[in-house]
Amino acid sequence: MGWWRRICVRVMCAVLPAGKETPGVDPQCCDELCERIRREAPLLLRMTMHASVALFVVCPLVTVGRPCPALWLSAENLDRHAAGMARHPSYLLRQAMMMLKTVAGMSWGTDPGVRRSLGMEPYAADPRGWRRS
Amino acid sequence: MIAPGTHLAFQTGAPVELEADYVVVGSGAGGAAAAATLVRAGRSVCVVERGPWRDPQHYPLSVYGAMRDLWSDWGTLFARGRSMIPILQASCVGGTTVINSAIVVRTPPAVLAEWAELGLGEVFSEAAVGAEQEALERELGVTRMHGRQLMEHSEALLRALRSRGLEGHALDRSARDCIGSGQCLQGCREGAKTSTNLCWVPEVITRGGTVLSCAPVGRVTIERGRAVGVSGRFVHPAPRRGERRRGARFSVRARRGVLLAASATGSAPLLERSGVRSAALGRGWRGQPGAAMIGVYPHEVRMERGTTQGAASLAYRSEGFKLESLSLPLELLAARVGGAGHRYARALEEAPRMAMWVAAVRAQAQGVVRAGRFGQPVVRYAPSRADTERLRAGLGRLARLHFDAGAEKVLPGIHGVAPELGPDELGALESAPLDNRCYTWVLSHLFGGCVMGKDPRRSVVAPDLHVRGVRGLHVVDAACLPTTLGVNPQHTIMAVARIIAARVVNEENVA
Ligand SMILES: Cc1cc2nc3c(=O)[nH]c(=O)nc-3n(C[C@H](O)[C@H](O)[C@H](O)COP(=O)(O)OP(=O)(O)OC[C@H]3O[C@@H](n4cnc5c(N)ncnc54)[C@H](O)[C@@H]3O)c2cc1C
Ligand code: SF4
Repeated sequence: MGWWRRICVRVMCAVLPAGKETPGVDPQCCDELCERIRREAPLLLRMTMHASVALFVVCPLVTVGRPCPALWLSAENLDRHAAGMARHPSYLLRQAMMMLKTVAGMSWGTDPGVRRSLGMEPYAADPRGWRRS
Repeated sequence: MIAPGTHLAFQTGAPVELEADYVVVGSGAGGAAAAATLVRAGRSVCVVERGPWRDPQHYPLSVYGAMRDLWSDWGTLFARGRSMIPILQASCVGGTTVINSAIVVRTPPAVLAEWAELGLGEVFSEAAVGAEQEALERELGVTRMHGRQLMEHSEALLRALRSRGLEGHALDRSARDCIGSGQCLQGCREGAKTSTNLCWVPEVITRGGTVLSCAPVGRVTIERGRAVGVSGRFVHPAPRRGERRRGARFSVRARRGVLLAASATGSAPLLERSGVRSAALGRGWRGQPGAAMIGVYPHEVRMERGTTQGAASLAYRSEGFKLESLSLPLELLAARVGGAGHRYARALEEAPRMAMWVAAVRAQAQGVVRAGRFGQPVVRYAPSRADTERLRAGLGRLARLHFDAGAEKVLPGIHGVAPELGPDELGALESAPLDNRCYTWVLSHLFGGCVMGKDPRRSVVAPDLHVRGVRGLHVVDAACLPTTLGVNPQHTIMAVARIIAARVVNEENVA
């Protein structure tokens, strides 16, 4: 995992951590998803995702009053920062959080461990075929 | 030479050149309905579709797969205005009918009366549209959802409506054999939903027509005021590393006419790229945006079981919104539930006990769709304050209904309102902000951009159903509808497309 990918994954884990009985975003699953996005998704989606991660990292000052990158925050402040960004008055920050939740949600919601813990069937692999003639 | 009854997917090498009586651009609700009408009348037809042809066994299970394989541009098109609202459509053979919920609702007579005032009463009379919709219902096997198809998620809405004496009904859907897998948004792998890639597009081929897939039309060719064909270049739907995305050029000559059905976001930009000039082009773009209210119940609801959408209420149609049950896959539910961090994660643990119902607004706002710098659609649109007020009222009604059905709390998902509300806290919804940025809107019912009407300043298509100033060019999709409907649009779009296609053939016979 490159350094930026590690940051992306850590941000997603902070956005959707484990609940009482349900696992949170799994770093391995999330890394795989980020890799697929890198290979397959259109530029606009990738750019929006990376910009949202960058915003998450740089804006603790406006959410929890700490002038440092988000990933340097204590666990408690990181959680407050994530929650603060989701309900921030700035539409831009809220939209960025929506993007992060979309990606984190895709990783979390397809994770067989999460699905099982919620009593849902795990997904089989996506087939990805199309008619060639 | 390409044999009749052929499907041509992504091609490389020499340009592909074809000829047909009619070219239909787009294979969704409008395009496929029109194409089937034309082939049944004995005309040769070439359907040209931007996306690939995927069969039910190719459909993805995950939302990521659906974004990649079925949704237009991965769902990255937004209506931009004060707010950014995602626009959901599909790009594949079958168009948005592949991912929609297949709900079938007849065009309300009041809407046809509005159209009559725009000079369209003769063509789209109540009798003509009604007869077409009756035929469609038989053909598509429309059935009322019941039993296993509904399950607790939709049953609870119906119970709550009944308890208040409000109108509520199980939905009629063109999904006769629906087993209630709740996967409509990812395409129906059971093949239960009668999307147009499973009925009319194959019929076009059986009757000797041609279908090009992976073939986005770049331009309609117009010569001496007449549409004479279309052209573009094949695009690979899933290129591997080292594989080229752009394929061979194609052009299809239309002996008699071109019918556009590239959707409410596609048809106007295509006309713009093709050099059609009209003050009305791209204007009159409208939508029926909606948002959801989630109820959390003391018992399991399991919204993933049962049909994606099973119940609805038109009780508030006169107030400008309708209510429906809608189940979301877990991945998307995670984006919709408010918050982030540990509290949010704990809220998501309640997913099995959640029911989600939506309010869709018959919005009055109008926007514009244009071709962007690279030809892509750019939509400028935002719900007005009055539309937001309607949505707020709809969400308030839904919250009450959730409590009537036994919910413990609701999750409004409105910025400026607490993330969870109990039954005694609903006042907060009445005073919720009216800034449209505070709501989690989604747009899936789209209209306009090439609207029909008698006023040349306000309409692109004249009452004689030709694009003004261009002979042999017609619009047969949601783009030509001059108003919103207040109900689900597929049935109206299909009926309108069939009526226009039949008229086109008749006109030609008369000539
Ligand atoms: C999630 C969802 C659920 C819905 N549920 C319902 C429902 O239950 N009932 C209902 O009535 N309505 C529903 N709708 C709306 C309904 O599906 C659409 O209104 C309808 O399909 C629109 O028909 P159309 O022909 O205008 O466009 P589409 O069905 O979107 O078809 C347009 C086609 O044109 C193709 N195209 C675009 N540009 C080009 C080009 N340049 N060249 C070639 N091809 C091109 C596209 O790839 C696409 O296949 C739903 C919509 C969504 C998104
Ligand atoms: S709910 Fe499932 S079975 Fe029913 S139409 Fe939708 S995808 Fe098909």
